[in-house]
Amino acid sequence: MENFREVKAGKKSFKKDYVAIMLWFVGKAIQAASAVDEDVKKEFAALPDYFTFSLGVMPDGPHMVVGKTRKGIVQYIGWDPEGRDIDLKMKIKNIEAAMLLFTFQESTAIATARNRMIVDGEVPHACAVVRILDTVEVYLLPKIIAKLAVKRYPVWSSGRKYAGRIMVYIRTILGF
Amino acid sequence: MFLPNHYEFACPVKTNSGNRALEHLPVELDALNARKPLVITGKDTAGKGLVDVLINAFRDSGITIGVFDGVHTSPDLILIRELFRIYRDGGYDAVIALGGGPAVDTAKTLNIAVSGEPEDIETSAGENLIKKPLKPLVYVPTLSGTGYETSRYAFFGSNMYASHFLMPDLVVIDPRMTVPEDAKTTAATALVALTQAAEVYVSPGKNPLTDSYAYTAISFIMENLVTVINNPQDKKGRLSLANAHCMAGCAFSNAAPGIAHALGKAAGDACGVSHGLCMGILLPYVLERYLSLSGYHIADLLLPLTGFDVYAGTAEEKRTQKAVETIYDLQKELFKVSGGAIPRTLKDANVSKNILKDIAVKAAGGASTGLDSDGCLAVLEQAWEGR
Repeated sequence: MENFREVKAGKKSFKKDYVAIMLWFVGKAIQAASAVDEDVKKEFAALPDYFTFSLGVMPDGPHMVVGKTRKGIVQYIGWDPEGRDIDLKMKIKNIEAAMLLFTFQESTAIATARNRMIVDGEVPHACAVVRILDTVEVYLLPKIIAKLAVKRYPVWSSGRKYAGRIMVYIRTILGF
Repeated sequence: MFLPNHYEFACPVKTNSGNRALEHLPVELDALNARKPLVITGKDTAGKGLVDVLINAFRDSGITIGVFDGVHTSPDLILIRELFRIYRDGGYDAVIALGGGPAVDTAKTLNIAVSGEPEDIETSAGENLIKKPLKPLVYVPTLSGTGYETSRYAFFGSNMYASHFLMPDLVVIDPRMTVPEDAKTTAATALVALTQAAEVYVSPGKNPLTDSYAYTAISFIMENLVTVINNPQDKKGRLSLANAHCMAGCAFSNAAPGIAHALGKAAGDACGVSHGLCMGILLPYVLERYLSLSGYHIADLLLPLTGFDVYAGTAEEKRTQKAVETIYDLQKELFKVSGGAIPRTLKDANVSKNILKDIAVKAAGGASTGLDSDGCLAVLEQAWEGR
């Protein structure tokens, strides 16, 4: 029929790749920060043993999965949540919303307030993860960008900020 | 605030408005148990490239969508039959109406047919004759929407359908879709919404929930209409107007249509002039007529029309007249900024004085006006002549 066509939705490969890299890096950085920063350590200590969470993009990724062992060691587990027992799933509704988040046009708190994320799990656990993400972003990003990405930019001593940043970067890149 | 002894209010519309709102569509459709939507829109909307923006919003969702972009200004049953066949044979399970006016009326009428039997198009015409929920309907407005799209009404040929089941399940208002229109279209659509909201806001049948929707719709229109006509690139202003249109439709769905609405529609039909322009012309004259009727809340209208400062600075006994004067001032402002393209009187709009009586008889026939044909004629003559 004239004026009618059926369209198969295409892909946004570049954006997916960008978000996948960011998720991988942030996941590794969470693991690093949990060994470096006292606040992050405390947040994870308050979470249950073997607590695992994922942050990903609907409908089919990319994702990151982070979990803690019984001894409190935090690990970046990988990019595939399939088949894992995950306590908290944080799902960004679409790749454009993920781009707004990972290009720091919207903070995690704003994205949540604008209903761009779905949380499947306990809300207090989700709040703890958001606080951890905020702390990690402060380590990873220069202040001018981090201020856009976090709810409240913290006042830290120079030692914590700069020495911590170096340690988080080294551990993230080297993977321990 | 006015609280009646008893009231009812129904609004099943979920609204998703703002930056990148369209990209939420796949998730929202999933929540409505829909996986394969059929998009219905008009040639004008397609010509502006808006269909491509909508299709792009589905990328990475894995969803297949059907697009029909050929709805013209007077769609007929042949078109509905074709669309019914496409919907049934293509395995579609939801309808997305993009744009305004005939495209949305077509989408609503199609939804009646695909949710039951094609014969329902005839048997469902009238007030509250649709007895069960329809298939998911999503509405994506452009600036050519008026408020009817979000409302419980649909008009197709000579049929009028009225049912809360016709209200969209979801409205997605994205700034990328509110592309600038010419001054006359922008004003005509906003004036329909303003009339819908203002008449609900002053009506004896209003309630706290219609007040909420109507108040915001009126405020947004008063704050943004002239600004957007002066500067069509004002993205936030256009988004505010699109929001106002949808809110006005929700308020309008919960009250009987008013006199300005009925007269404006009858005058527009009789003369081929835009309904919105006619309603905008008639609104202040009708508000003055309401003063002689009991139970109307004209003074309350001053607050959303002008804001807190003017409202608080106006003596209580002068608020009614000030509200009416504010609408007259809006008419003058629109006439001025459009270089005379937006008429202030029915005479300016090239409505022949000879047909005012016919219009009055037709409008008085509608139960909602509350005026006899002489009363309607008096209002029409005032609006023809102007002040």
